[in-house]
Amino acid sequence: MRSLGLILALLFVATPASAHRLKLFATLESGTISGYAFFVGSGRAHGAAISVKEASGKEIATLTTDDNGAYSYKTPAPQTYHLTANTGDGHIADAVIDAARFGGASTPDPENADDDDADSSAPAAALSQAQIERAVDAAVARQVKPLIEAYELAEGRTRFNDIMGGIGMIIGLAGLAMWASARRAGGKA
Amino acid sequence: MAHIPDGVLSLPVLVGGGAAAVGAVALGLRRISDRDIPRVAILASGFFALSLFAVPVGPSSVHLLLGGLMGIVLGSAIFPAVCVALLLQAVMFGFGGLTTLGVNIVNIALPGAVIGALVSPLIARATPASAAVIAGLASAGCVACTGLLVALALALSSADYMLSARVMLATYLPLMVVEGLVGGFCISFVKRVKPELLTPLQAHA
Repeated sequence: MRSLGLILALLFVATPASAHRLKLFATLESGTISGYAFFVGSGRAHGAAISVKEASGKEIATLTTDDNGAYSYKTPAPQTYHLTANTGDGHIADAVIDAARFGGASTPDPENADDDDADSSAPAAALSQAQIERAVDAAVARQVKPLIEAYELAEGRTRFNDIMGGIGMIIGLAGLAMWASARRAGGKA
Repeated sequence: MAHIPDGVLSLPVLVGGGAAAVGAVALGLRRISDRDIPRVAILASGFFALSLFAVPVGPSSVHLLLGGLMGIVLGSAIFPAVCVALLLQAVMFGFGGLTTLGVNIVNIALPGAVIGALVSPLIARATPASAAVIAGLASAGCVACTGLLVALALALSSADYMLSARVMLATYLPLMVVEGLVGGFCISFVKRVKPELLTPLQAHA
């Protein structure tokens, strides 16, 4: 009983819960994959190795995260990319950038990359379909990024209710085991 | 660290770890008598809850493993305790994975069971102060063994996941110190207030 009390006390002290799990955040903007590797609720993973693979499994690049756990990779062509982060001590996380995310905007032409320039120099009607798609893709990527980040964070968060639920489950299992052994003992007597 | 996620280990490692874990859990279950069930459940919930909380250390992040403490108090019943706790962590929090459950059980529980079996006769005879020292060393040793087993499981699976010795040292050394302190404190506390908890579990008649 005393140790159960100790456990409960520790739980209350540690309520801003943080699961221990590496996650890899990846977002695509104008053909560049960028993001960061982080431990849910417990800081960024700096110096982690990130391997970029094609859908076929061929490794095409290896990166290292900087002091903020961030990385970025300019993709050579629109296709599916698999990213794997490895901190070097047994924490490994994956992220996938699907080919469909590249949408209509393939890798931008260097001379047309700046959408503001295109806007001011040419009348709006002269914007090509491709330019519009590129501009929309970039705007949507920018707006959606914080949402994806928040989702990734929320998904891995350890909730107090879940922890209590887990402990309840263990107590229930113990009760079940005691009931079973009591029945066995009763049968013997 | 000790929670290896799905999709990392190769099939032979998964099958080997799974088979070893099934055997060990079955053995552990047979050794639990009905009087020991609450003890196993309390330590399982303690491990379940405490190993969810991680703190950033150097380039990585660590959490308590409690292998030494559980091994000393539970003996071979550490396997079912760790099994239940890891299963719940995997299902509820995506901590580790279901396919890697067996390997993770072995990685965390095996050092505890072996080292616990070695030191618990010593602790049963020791004074609270020396019990603290023995338990502290045992706990630190369990962390080191868990680290080695994790490294082994990853190295056997794929050359892609070779661990860097520098990072391992930077993260596991502080954890060994903390685990040693926690294990030593808990065991000396139990030794003083409830020494009968430190006698090994009685085998089933």
